[in-house]
Amino acid sequence: MKKITTIEAENLSITRAKKVVVKNLSFAVKQGEVFGLLGGNGAGKSTTLLAFLGFLTSTEGAARINGVEADVDPAATRRAIAYLPESANLYPHLSARENINYFLSLAKVKSSADDIEMALNQVSLAEEARDQRLSSYSKGMRQKVAIAVAILRQAPILFLDEPTSGLDPVAIDEFNRLITKLAKSGTTVLMVTHDVYGACQVADRIGLLRRGELVGMFEATNDARISVDEVHQAFASGA
Amino acid sequence: MKTAITIAAQEWRYWSRTKLASAVALLAFILICTSVFATFSQVAKEKDTRETLQIKAEETFRDQPARHPHRMVHYGHYVFRTPTSLAALDPGVDPFTGTVMFLEGHRQNSATFSPSYDGAQAGPFSRLTPALTYQLLLPLVLIVMGFGVVAREREAATDRQLVTSGISPISIWLGKTLALGSVAFLLLLPMLAGVALSESNWSIGLGFFALYFFYVLVWVLIITAVSTWSQRTSVSLLILLSIWLILCVLLPRLVAGAAATAIPDTSQIETDMDVIMALRSVGDGHNSRDPAFDRLKANLLQEYGVKRVEDLPINFRGAVAQAAEADLTAILNEYADKRIAGQRVQTQLVKSYEFVSPFIALQSASMVAAGTDARTHHRFLREAEAVRFQFVQDLNKVHEHKMAYVDDINRNRDTDAARRTRVDSENWRVLRDFRFNADPADTRLERLFSSYAVILIWLMVFAIAGLLGARRLPEVNHG
Ligand SMILES: Nc1ncnc2c1ncn2[C@@H]1O[C@H](COP(=O)(O)OP(=O)(O)O)[C@@H](O)[C@H]1O
Ligand SMILES: [Mg+2]
Repeated sequence: MKKITTIEAENLSITRAKKVVVKNLSFAVKQGEVFGLLGGNGAGKSTTLLAFLGFLTSTEGAARINGVEADVDPAATRRAIAYLPESANLYPHLSARENINYFLSLAKVKSSADDIEMALNQVSLAEEARDQRLSSYSKGMRQKVAIAVAILRQAPILFLDEPTSGLDPVAIDEFNRLITKLAKSGTTVLMVTHDVYGACQVADRIGLLRRGELVGMFEATNDARISVDEVHQAFASGA
Repeated sequence: MKTAITIAAQEWRYWSRTKLASAVALLAFILICTSVFATFSQVAKEKDTRETLQIKAEETFRDQPARHPHRMVHYGHYVFRTPTSLAALDPGVDPFTGTVMFLEGHRQNSATFSPSYDGAQAGPFSRLTPALTYQLLLPLVLIVMGFGVVAREREAATDRQLVTSGISPISIWLGKTLALGSVAFLLLLPMLAGVALSESNWSIGLGFFALYFFYVLVWVLIITAVSTWSQRTSVSLLILLSIWLILCVLLPRLVAGAAATAIPDTSQIETDMDVIMALRSVGDGHNSRDPAFDRLKANLLQEYGVKRVEDLPINFRGAVAQAAEADLTAILNEYADKRIAGQRVQTQLVKSYEFVSPFIALQSASMVAAGTDARTHHRFLREAEAVRFQFVQDLNKVHEHKMAYVDDINRNRDTDAARRTRVDSENWRVLRDFRFNADPADTRLERLFSSYAVILIWLMVFAIAGLLGARRLPEVNHG
């Protein structure tokens, strides 16, 4: 099956506060693929995501979604992306259901109460928590609500920024399974993380980012996941 | 637009779930209602009292028994400035200028307060008028409720989430403005009720309310603009409080100070001394032998072809009283006009600063709309003076024509002469009714045009500022 490119960085360079933080970055992600962008703190991972969302403009090159440059038509690229920032940006004064309803109504997505329950089941948010305000939630619970929003929005592309940091191991396992399932159903996933183990578990391919530059690329094969040791060695060697 | 309404509704939910916001809104509403109700009932009572007292004063004057007309000149009369309907919401200069005037011969008294007026009795609300509550306090309430409308989203990076949901930053700004605007409108309802209850002329009532509506809208736009530009809620609050302090407290003070020094209000004693000096040139109207009236005497003797004042067909003393009153009034009017002109320059000067602060613009315009501005008070002073001069001179004419000179000069020695100089109480009808009315609605509305223009310019400036802020809403870095 021939897969179409949905996410593409071409010689992308970004300057923040007069410092070049992403340098000549090129990679492409095909539909249904899970791509992990791995790197240490300050490597430029979040910056790269913001460029695709049109929140930061590129100084050189281009960040494209479905062939559309984010700098040119940010509204179009945003429409295609469900974005989970480092800390789930939801409203603490609203319950899970209220948050979901609000964001869906803004995105003009029609979802029945059943759909919402199903999504919340899918992310396995505890039943009794669903009508409580998010101010009483743990980070993992908030993350689940954010993913539920992303699922319900049915956006073809999912951006995840350090999605598993702060989650307990059980939650991480659940989360990874969910991502794999979404990718199987056709969602393209771009995940940025500094967690080597987590990345190797879900990603079809991993790009290693160091000081804004892509310094390595790893790919899973049909019968083997990406080797944690191999990636770890590459990651550690540059530190 | 639908998106904006969804965002506005969401903001309402936030307020309803935040104790501080709900408490502030509720307190503000109670305070506003109290202020409207207190001032409304106080002014309504005052209006009743003054109308009654005015009629009573006229009846008392006309019911005086037969006596020498000059005694009526000194008996005097009261005129009252009855408040306009909208004074119930903006008493304007009323509490400072006085609203009653005692009219008598040979003097121009200043306006004082009616005997029933007791500022202390009305409590603190006699100063916290609805006008001031809306001009000064409402912006503060809106700041407390609205400083975070957009800054809060930006601080929590939920603005990115909103934008990635596919809505435009302009919708966010519009929704937030709609939310704060609807709160402002709710808080304006007590004033709308006050206008509807007090003012029967809908055009001026609407014109008055529109001033406040636009003013409050200016604040809504200031708040959303600053909140949109601010990276943090704390910064937004700080900036907004500073703006409030500058626009509503500092600038009005400075401008008032500038007005005071531009036209130094010469002290009362100084003016009084000047007037006394000037009046020396006028003869004493009670003394017909004052050499100041020699000329009048000569003219009259010649006119009637007689040799002695006793032979004149008129009472010379009455003629003297008239001439003296006319001369004296001319001088007093000159000083009164000077004083009024000075005050007028001051209010004009303050008004000319309306473009530096919407507060100054509204404060001046509100008094014009309510008919409680200094200019209206000045007209009251002039009309009251006209009544005074007319009844005094008419009494002096009675003095001139309805008794003999000989009787008049002998009335203290001869009881028969005294009886003959007493004129019938019918003559007290010379007193005209006095009913003071503020300028008609059309005139007031015409004078409001420039203020509307200024406030609308403020509206546009901050709408544009908000829109520009919204445009860079998602591009801002969150670190
Ligand atoms: N708001 C900002 N303003 C200026 N520089 C920033 C900002 N945020 C991040 N940076 C800089 O950009 C670089 C990359 O940051 P980021 O993309 O957040 O790294 P990562 O997500 O990989 O940890 C860092 O050097 C950081 O200092
Ligand atoms: Mg990051």
